[in-house]
Amino acid sequence: MNRFVEQLAANDVAELGMPGSLLAGPTAAMAGPTGHGLSFELAAGNNPAEFAQHFIDAKSEKDSLIKIAHGTTTLAFKFREGVMVATDSRATSGNVIASQTVKKVIEINPYLLGTMAGGAADCSFWERVLGMECRLHELRNKKRISVAAASKLLANLVYRYKGMGLSMGTMVAGWDEKGPGLYYVDSDGQRLANDIFSVGSGSTFAYGVLDSHYRYDMDIEEARDVARRAIYHATHRDAYSGGVVRMYLVQRDGWVPYPLEDVGDLYYQYHPEVQLTNRTESPLTVVPA
Amino acid sequence: MSIMQYNGSAIVAMAGKGCVAIAADKRLGQRALTVDTEFQKVFPITDRTYIGLPGLATDVKTLYDRFRMRVNLYKHNEERTIEPKTFSHLVSHMLYERRFGPYFVEPVVAGLDKNDEPYICGMDLIGCINFAKDFIVGGTASDNLYGMCESLWEPELGPEDLFETISQALLNAVDRDALSGWGAVVHIITPEGVITRDLKGRMD
Amino acid sequence: MARRYDSRTTIFSPEGRLYQVEYAMEAISHAGTVIGVLSKDGIVLAAERQATSNLLEQSVDNEKIYEMNENVVAGVAGHAADANILINQSRIVAQRYLLKYDSPIPVEQLVRNLCDLKQGYTQHGGLRPFGVAFLCAGWDSALGFQLYQSDPAGNYSSWKATCIGENNNNAQSILKQEYKDDDKEESGPNVKSVGSQMTMDDALKLTCQVLSKTIDTAKLSSEKLEFATLTLKSGKPCIHVYTSSEIDEVLKTYESVIKPADNQ
Repeated sequence: MNRFVEQLAANDVAELGMPGSLLAGPTAAMAGPTGHGLSFELAAGNNPAEFAQHFIDAKSEKDSLIKIAHGTTTLAFKFREGVMVATDSRATSGNVIASQTVKKVIEINPYLLGTMAGGAADCSFWERVLGMECRLHELRNKKRISVAAASKLLANLVYRYKGMGLSMGTMVAGWDEKGPGLYYVDSDGQRLANDIFSVGSGSTFAYGVLDSHYRYDMDIEEARDVARRAIYHATHRDAYSGGVVRMYLVQRDGWVPYPLEDVGDLYYQYHPEVQLTNRTESPLTVVPA
Repeated sequence: MSIMQYNGSAIVAMAGKGCVAIAADKRLGQRALTVDTEFQKVFPITDRTYIGLPGLATDVKTLYDRFRMRVNLYKHNEERTIEPKTFSHLVSHMLYERRFGPYFVEPVVAGLDKNDEPYICGMDLIGCINFAKDFIVGGTASDNLYGMCESLWEPELGPEDLFETISQALLNAVDRDALSGWGAVVHIITPEGVITRDLKGRMD
Repeated sequence: MARRYDSRTTIFSPEGRLYQVEYAMEAISHAGTVIGVLSKDGIVLAAERQATSNLLEQSVDNEKIYEMNENVVAGVAGHAADANILINQSRIVAQRYLLKYDSPIPVEQLVRNLCDLKQGYTQHGGLRPFGVAFLCAGWDSALGFQLYQSDPAGNYSSWKATCIGENNNNAQSILKQEYKDDDKEESGPNVKSVGSQMTMDDALKLTCQVLSKTIDTAKLSSEKLEFATLTLKSGKPCIHVYTSSEIDEVLKTYESVIKPADNQ
């Protein structure tokens, strides 16, 4: 709490020209490295985070005001040619499929991609802020930010709000002076570097495919096939993943998207033997003729 | 998550002109995980009466076995096959017997009676019968199915039109439900016999 | 002497007899005949209906032949009211087995269960034994077609062809004489005896032949007879209980074997 009080002292609501709040409480400022002015109003009381939990549906089970899309499959891996990033496109609210065409890959800048798992609003907001910070870094230092630094910025941003109900599991993929970069950052503040990641409710299925088919020296077509199959298998087994396979390849010149592939069609491509059939079935209780 | 949503299901019955149809998805899940895509949820009771059992899969199997037993004994004792209406009341009675510890299923019955008249009805999990002249829905996609049926169903549909209507209603309903789908099966019950067709659907 | 012991089912006489049980068996030997003949691809059951009257309402129900389960059909000789109790019980037992194991009850298990019930009434005090004997024709995947006979004492035995009810001694001897058996053929220890050279047609013919010689009537007719067959249709047991016109048809087909009986 002390942190918020300090920030309140530094960034007064009136000073920033924010409208007066009905919840006359403290304000948590989003202070970037330079501390320019985004701020979130907090509920009155000793524990605003706990207050907020009542309205945030962190497990998609209760009827809450703020709903969080949890179902997702996202994956990314480094290989010989660069970084392959692939996601599904389903959004659910309870068991209702809210959308089959969600963009879960966030284009931070022409050289950086972020993926979206957990809270859609959290991911898109903070990765846009990250985009801003990366551009500022470029202007200040006259060169592009490294993937390592960008992911660290994001981790630091969300760490400030730890325990307040942010929900995001994201992969930051890009290309910098050292070559391909891939990091995992989540709302707990965790930041990891590795060659393969998968995040979301369908990630276990995707890992299954990746672990058995991934090789570092794959060519682009092989890598696409592995990514496609991993997402496809995840959408098949996980109720909360589905829609289309959205895929990006990051190389020296930045990322390029691939055409979308509908998983509804992929199943019948992978299983050409499945045909529409007519069956005749007799009841178990047959009356003697 | 309610126990009614644990396995996921979508079942719909529709009345036509001198025929009825009953259709179901084929998914068996455990919450988000899809375990089986060939799970039977609609069962033949007689040559022309079928029952769909959306709900908890273990109860689906148990109940079907118990219905089969009771219908076989009915056949032996009465020396005739059971009518869809009579069967519905049997089902209702068996469900209410567990009033204070219910089976977690909402049965959907579809059949032709001895005068070849369509009969469809649905029930809640403790046996309250809901008789309808048009359509009955059940399962995790039931809200979606209501919407599809309200817009697609029309009276006096023949067997082929009824098949098209019920198939479209089911497939489009499950495409907006995360917990059901993964293929479907349709039975069209006519005085001449039952036509059973498997439908291709999205497998995600 | 008998009087001192026959008033109770559960008391042996000094000669080691249970008079009430024996009386029950005696009652059956006056009941309408029931014949069962096993063939290699099915079983024929036929029963005689006694005491028909033109005033009696001819119900659609059979009096003597009952379907017990999808794989077992039974012919009854003796006290019809007693039979109803046992048949009802057997049907429930069979359905309980199906509920529990999701497969039809093995024939012998159903018969044994029925006989256990009968036996109980020869032992526990104050109760009269069931005055019925059964011929149970059944099929199961383990042992194929089977024909069982049971008596009021609760004994049961498996047969290739047998008969209960009136004139059963007479019928047994004809069956023994006419039944085509493969027992005499060479068969190694591992060769399972099929037990029968008979076809279903042979079995029907033999049944008609025996009926004509055991039933005390000028002319066999559907009014006094019930017929049922148990066969396999695409791997599943199929019970067929004949309508009266179908019975007439059978009698007509095998006229040749029935007629000589009239001449004798």
